Amino acid sequence: MTAGFLDRPILEPVAAATPMVPRGLVPSPFDARLRPLNLHQDWMPWAGHLSARRFDSVEAEYFAIRNQATLFDISPMHKYRVTGPDAERVMNRLMTRDVRKIAPGRVGYSLWCDEDGFVIDDGTLFRLGRDDFRLCCQEPQLGWLSDVAWGFDVTLREETEEIAGLSLQGPTSFAVLEAAGLGQLAALKPFGVAKVDDGLTVSRTGFTGDLGYELWVPAGRAIALWDRLWAAGHDFGLRPIGYAALDMARIEAGFVVCGVDFKSIHAAVRPTRGRTPFELDAARLVDFDKGHFNGRRALLQHAKEGPRYKLVALEVEGNKAPHAAFVYHRKKTEAGHITSTLWSPTCKRNIALAMLQAPYGVDITGDLWVEIYHDKEGKWERIMAKAWLTERPFFRHRRRSLTPPARL
Amino acid sequence: MTRYDAIVIGAGHNGLAAAGLLARGGRTVLVVEKNDVLGGAAAGYEIAPGFRAPRFAHLLHAWHPQVERQLDLAAHGLAFARRDLATLSLADDGNHTIIERGEARLAAGNSLPDAAAFAALHRRLQRFAGVLAGKLLQVPPRLESPDWRDLAGLAKLGLDLRRLGAADAREFLRVLLSNAHDVVLDEIADGPLAGALALDAVMGGHSGPRSPGSALTLLYRLAQGGGRHLPKGGMAAFVGALAEAAQSRGAEIRRNAAVEAVLVENDRVIGIRLADGEAMKAPLVLSSLDAQTTLRLTGVEHFDAEAVRRIRHVRCKGVTAKVNLALSALPRFDGIGEDLLGGRLLLTPSVQALETAFDATKYGELPACPALEVLIPSLADPSLVDGSGHVMSIVVQYAPYHLKGGWNDAARSRLAATVLDLLERHAPGLRDLIVAQDVLTPLDIERETGASGGHWHHGELSVDQMLTLRPVNGLARYALPVGGLYLCGAAAHPGGDIIGAAGHNAARLAMKDWALLEERVA
Repeated sequence: MTAGFLDRPILEPVAAATPMVPRGLVPSPFDARLRPLNLHQDWMPWAGHLSARRFDSVEAEYFAIRNQATLFDISPMHKYRVTGPDAERVMNRLMTRDVRKIAPGRVGYSLWCDEDGFVIDDGTLFRLGRDDFRLCCQEPQLGWLSDVAWGFDVTLREETEEIAGLSLQGPTSFAVLEAAGLGQLAALKPFGVAKVDDGLTVSRTGFTGDLGYELWVPAGRAIALWDRLWAAGHDFGLRPIGYAALDMARIEAGFVVCGVDFKSIHAAVRPTRGRTPFELDAARLVDFDKGHFNGRRALLQHAKEGPRYKLVALEVEGNKAPHAAFVYHRKKTEAGHITSTLWSPTCKRNIALAMLQAPYGVDITGDLWVEIYHDKEGKWERIMAKAWLTERPFFRHRRRSLTPPARL
Repeated sequence: MTRYDAIVIGAGHNGLAAAGLLARGGRTVLVVEKNDVLGGAAAGYEIAPGFRAPRFAHLLHAWHPQVERQLDLAAHGLAFARRDLATLSLADDGNHTIIERGEARLAAGNSLPDAAAFAALHRRLQRFAGVLAGKLLQVPPRLESPDWRDLAGLAKLGLDLRRLGAADAREFLRVLLSNAHDVVLDEIADGPLAGALALDAVMGGHSGPRSPGSALTLLYRLAQGGGRHLPKGGMAAFVGALAEAAQSRGAEIRRNAAVEAVLVENDRVIGIRLADGEAMKAPLVLSSLDAQTTLRLTGVEHFDAEAVRRIRHVRCKGVTAKVNLALSALPRFDGIGEDLLGGRLLLTPSVQALETAFDATKYGELPACPALEVLIPSLADPSLVDGSGHVMSIVVQYAPYHLKGGWNDAARSRLAATVLDLLERHAPGLRDLIVAQDVLTPLDIERETGASGGHWHHGELSVDQMLTLRPVNGLARYALPVGGLYLCGAAAHPGGDIIGAAGHNAARLAMKDWALLEERVA
């Protein structure tokens, strides 16, 4: 074994001037603009960062997502840059899907697994160049990425603090971009990413099931980007939103969240809490034909044995959303529980994501019931509501994929 | 392209044993060896014209009798010049201790105060070692296994433990994870006798007598027999018998054939590629190399990140060096007769001295007084030297792989001088007899045998790297995750020392898998 093989550094050395780990929550690069707009001063932590839960009214913010345009600060998202001659091999080794099929200038959603085939996290992979990737995800992954990249010719860099991100979503989001002088992005297709200038990268991605973009700039240019969009958005109903409204839209769009709808195996104390991609209803993201990737052998075994759980989309009768509710079969056998739910203002019905334990959701899909407790003006009531499987997404607008995009 | 049923990488004792057993099972086998000389760490060589010495390992103390029988090595030329060598632990005051078959006495004939305590301790340790002994030829059990055989293996271990009786079982569990220093000095006074026992616990490893777990390593050594034997014709003859046993059954051995890559297709090995570009095909590839080297040759991309992390963190910092001498005549040791000189001489004056020597190693320094295991194999086997003269083989315990300032010529000379100074305390005039000398540092051992870190055991033999954890958790059953690829050397259970069990176990598993494969094809 040569010394080089053992000792080659993968991580970029941290500059000596890098400040110590900050205490408390780190304010966003957009903080100076967000703070005065946040009438409720309603903040929440997100990966160690200060993030808005709501600015004014959750309902108004939600309807802005569905009818106008909205800005959501996604800077706290973990961002990793993977570059070098082996970048594609390393990303392909990490991901369950075939990264070679994501062309430069494209974005792919994928998840990644541990050696037992249990999901560690999911995220969006931006292929910025042939040998240049950016991975955005919910959980910290620097240690894991270093393990996956060991022995390969790549450089890893955590960009979470360096890169500020704004999610511009809603029917008028392209109109806002155009008014901001970014009309050339009309050609950008869904899951496309384009470099506008040296500092600004824009992708047509989002979490809402509707037209939307994500804009990425170096943190130092965050305020300028905000001001540019804010000024352009006035006539298009642009408003800032917090996580509460976004969460409603993402459930409608049928997206799962790590830590909510499933537990990262790296965060689980009990190994049985891990979930395979099949159990998360993401079999389409597993490509056994692409060669070895992390967890492949275990996943082949899982595929043979069949899922132990199944994440399903449910519709529930009535207008009381079944928060944290148990799911029953024939009103008596426990079949699982609800992980995310709301009464959807757009779909006009109760929608939910649920984790069912096999055979429920796999072989037995009918006669499902949800036990809902709700506070009726100081009196708790219990409802056994009928539920049935449905397809995800609950909501997806045609606008989401039209190119060139709708202007109004 | 040439096709074989199985290719074995490395013609060390384990590689050759595996090849012999595979050939015996009717497989066509190719062994590829990067060196011109066979044997790996068990190789012999000519230190000077007419002087044949063991290059690294110099005696057999754990060679598994079952492997010997299965390969019928006696029929292929394995004979012993001397069996059950006595150990002589030298004392600075001339009061040397003889250890033979679990009993200790003073060389001068007067009584040794600790003789009874030593005999009792040795008996007890031997009994404890017996609990482990049966495990050597077994594949380590899977702890989370649905297979009843794994559970049965574990149950047997529990039963053996019960059979010790309550008091001994309690004592077994007490010393199991303790250290050699405490286990030995609880019973006998520190000195050459205690030092000899402690040296057995740390030999070849990056650990001192006070290192946690060194008691288990001692038990492990005792479990492997304990008798020390000199093969007739030296280690080269032993390796020759192994090679002959394999070749007589049709195995082919290629020398000067360094493997550049293990070839993988669709998650199965399909063969190997040599450094010169030549490729050979085989559905089974057994690597007697260490886990890290095997990983590198196969390609990191074929292993899950967790396995890679575990393998790259295998502790394998070699600390054992070798000094070989060709001597014009038999050196004269003060107060030691020729009969004792033909045994195993130890310079390990005390447990404390051993720990002090290890301390230096931790900081990348050469200890002032390393422990020495000295053999003059030519005394029992005059055929090793043409004409008069002798060869002396010295294992130096504690010479760090990562020596401060690096292993340059000056450092090598310093190591040689340290060793010769220590020896000349007992054998004045030794230097004048030297015809030729070789100093082999852990770096040389790495370069010549390929063992990462120059570690004799292909990874520290300590509790966190033993049994189901050898070489690493999840890969302890010889088969690597890539189909058809096996570890068959010291990196796998039961580990280092010249045992042959790893080669035996891996070959047996590979043949079993082969049978399953053929069944499926049929």
